[in-house]
Amino acid sequence: MKAEHANIFVRSAVHVFKKELGIKLTRDSLVRKDKPVPGLPVCIVLGITGNIRGQVVYAVDQSFAMEIAHQMVPNKLPLELKKLVNSAVGEIGNMITGQATIALAGKEQTLQITPPAVFTGREIQVDFLHMPTISMRMLSHAGVLEINIALTEEE
Amino acid sequence: MLKGLIVDDAAIMRMRLREILEPQYTIVAEAEDGDQALQRYREVHPDFVTLDISMPRMDGMTALARLVTEFDNPRIVIVSAVGQQKLVLEAIKLGACDFVVKPFDPERVLKALERVARRVTGCSD
Repeated sequence: MKAEHANIFVRSAVHVFKKELGIKLTRDSLVRKDKPVPGLPVCIVLGITGNIRGQVVYAVDQSFAMEIAHQMVPNKLPLELKKLVNSAVGEIGNMITGQATIALAGKEQTLQITPPAVFTGREIQVDFLHMPTISMRMLSHAGVLEINIALTEEE
Repeated sequence: MLKGLIVDDAAIMRMRLREILEPQYTIVAEAEDGDQALQRYREVHPDFVTLDISMPRMDGMTALARLVTEFDNPRIVIVSAVGQQKLVLEAIKLGACDFVVKPFDPERVLKALERVARRVTGCSD
């Protein structure tokens, strides 16, 4: 797992949160793990395939997830918004990963991204890849975004 | 008013695109994947399609290839987070009118649709 890959995801997350949600993210801590298991209850799992492959898992808490949905469709009532939370956080995960793969793929390669799968609380039953993972926390006024990146690159 | 079909697996994005487009266009149908997009296209014969790429079952690139093969001159604007250079070129080569990368400014989507509208109504750029 290359540190430069992690930096690409950080830049993508900062860009997407600012442009799509008007939320400023700043980098906090970084730890290494052996699996991209999230530490927060709402998680978004995406797979990447191609010459770079693996899993990216984003995680936020419930209130930050609601705030993300609210920023994406500000005119919705709380009850309507609740139904859109998974779709909203899934799409944000998709946008960050999409932006990151533009830089990772360069001009010559194509990387495929699986559609985001969103899990909340106790229903999380995901086969997380057993792969060296960089786990980063990003801070904002509305909550914490955790990004777990487990990628490997073909030589 | 031109009729549009919105194809995106995320409900929130279909809603946002509808909000951006509806003052100027009639959104006649939505689809959640490529397979549904083909079905809806057959049913409603839209003037344009906004098409996501990363979707379950049939992805947008496969749907794009099928739409340009099966229908006469479909007007398709890709609206996707997956904006890798090689993929953008491939989509345009296949027949997409434009490629808008998410996150997008609403004006960028409207500009893309304006160009499509000019083609449909026969006005030149």
